[in-house]
Amino acid sequence: MTDKEFISQLNKLRNVKTDQAWLNSNRELLLTQISNSGGAELSSWQNFVINFQSFMKTSSRPAFALGTFVVLLIVTSIFGHKLFSQAKPNDSLYIARIISEKAKLGTVLDSQERDRLAFQFAAGHAQDISTVLANPEFINSSNQDQIAKLNESFEKEINTARTKASRLTLKSTNEEEIVMIADATSTDGYLEVAEKTVDAAVPVETPKPEKLVAEEKASSTDAVPTEESIKADQILDEAKQSFERKDYNGTLNKLQEAQAIIQDGSR
Amino acid sequence: MSANLIKKFQTKKTLSQLKSHDKEAFIRVYDDQAADINRFVYYKIGNREDANDLTSVIFLKTWNHIQNNSLGEGKTLRALLYRIARNAIVDYYREKSVKRALSIDDEDNQIDVPDETIDLPEQMDQAADLELIKARLPLLKEEYREVIIMKFVNDLSLEEIADITDKKRGNVRVLLHRALNALKELVEQAKNKEKISNNENSNKSQI
Repeated sequence: MTDKEFISQLNKLRNVKTDQAWLNSNRELLLTQISNSGGAELSSWQNFVINFQSFMKTSSRPAFALGTFVVLLIVTSIFGHKLFSQAKPNDSLYIARIISEKAKLGTVLDSQERDRLAFQFAAGHAQDISTVLANPEFINSSNQDQIAKLNESFEKEINTARTKASRLTLKSTNEEEIVMIADATSTDGYLEVAEKTVDAAVPVETPKPEKLVAEEKASSTDAVPTEESIKADQILDEAKQSFERKDYNGTLNKLQEAQAIIQDGSR
Repeated sequence: MSANLIKKFQTKKTLSQLKSHDKEAFIRVYDDQAADINRFVYYKIGNREDANDLTSVIFLKTWNHIQNNSLGEGKTLRALLYRIARNAIVDYYREKSVKRALSIDDEDNQIDVPDETIDLPEQMDQAADLELIKARLPLLKEEYREVIIMKFVNDLSLEEIADITDKKRGNVRVLLHRALNALKELVEQAKNKEKISNNENSNKSQI
């Protein structure tokens, strides 16, 4: 007999049945005995207090704390940017907003969507900086350091927004152009060109006309700015100029305009 | 992890309810544990009637203990029940002065352990093995028998056994290993004796 067989035989000893009738009669007897020695039924309030206390005692354990932390981290990374979206650059929660936005960007897999979101965040930050600086109560001699920092931050945010906007509009333009080229050439039997652009693993056997190859190169490698990207860039530039002139309302309007263009472009 | 936390929460909740004299909570504990405690006592003392009486006493003692004492952090209700059961068994032996008068093969209380998933010859072999184990279990040292019942019959964890017996987890593991080997040896010896007597009988009949 192997150890495993031996243990399985031992486990069978648990199949010994206790007399159910005796268990039931003893149950009644025990209930009477404990009722006589002060046993009672608890009220719903007492039960609530006990549940709460037990929960608190259990929650002090490290495993529970770790589990709660992980859940909190996941929830914050998904919904945190909405939770802290109202935090302004002079708020203590602003750092939480930045972290949650970075976490949110980390969860987006589609690069175009990530760029769009990054643009929205950067433009949002720039708007908030303008709003804070537009407040006359904030502009005083004691806040000079903060004002200088905000000016610097605005510069950074505008640059980020411009970079993201140009990447976003270029990408969408490239994809559109490739489709357009494919549409134009498919009737002549050159559909492989479009396929190659989308999936490089597909071998191209059919020779391509020189003009088409040139077009393909231009669309995939050279950064050809679209009307939208030029416009968004111009508006962001105007927003920057308005900011430098301390025309914060004008800055806000321009930023909103740029956001609308990018929003329309993504549709 | 979550199952473990829920279990801990339930244990704490039940203990708090018992401290608040909640008889319903105690009856739930009884429903949950009575059969296991009764089996543990039965394998320890080998008498069905006495095991029933002791089980009843153990639950009443547990109720009184909880009302009058505070339980240490990390102590489970199951461990407390087994501790009280062990003490009750010691008292029982003391009163009866029959420390080794075990009769697990009590003819009035034959233990029936059917297993219908195996064929008849194998079932007969296994039934014979099981009978041998049951017959040899009372011959083991007290502490060996106890850990075997707790671990393999009543399915207690090593931590719980360590808590009940006031030993370290590692010591319980070693004890369990030795207990298994000792029981196995007893069973093998009985089997060999049986074989020899069978051979002798067949030789005699051939002559």
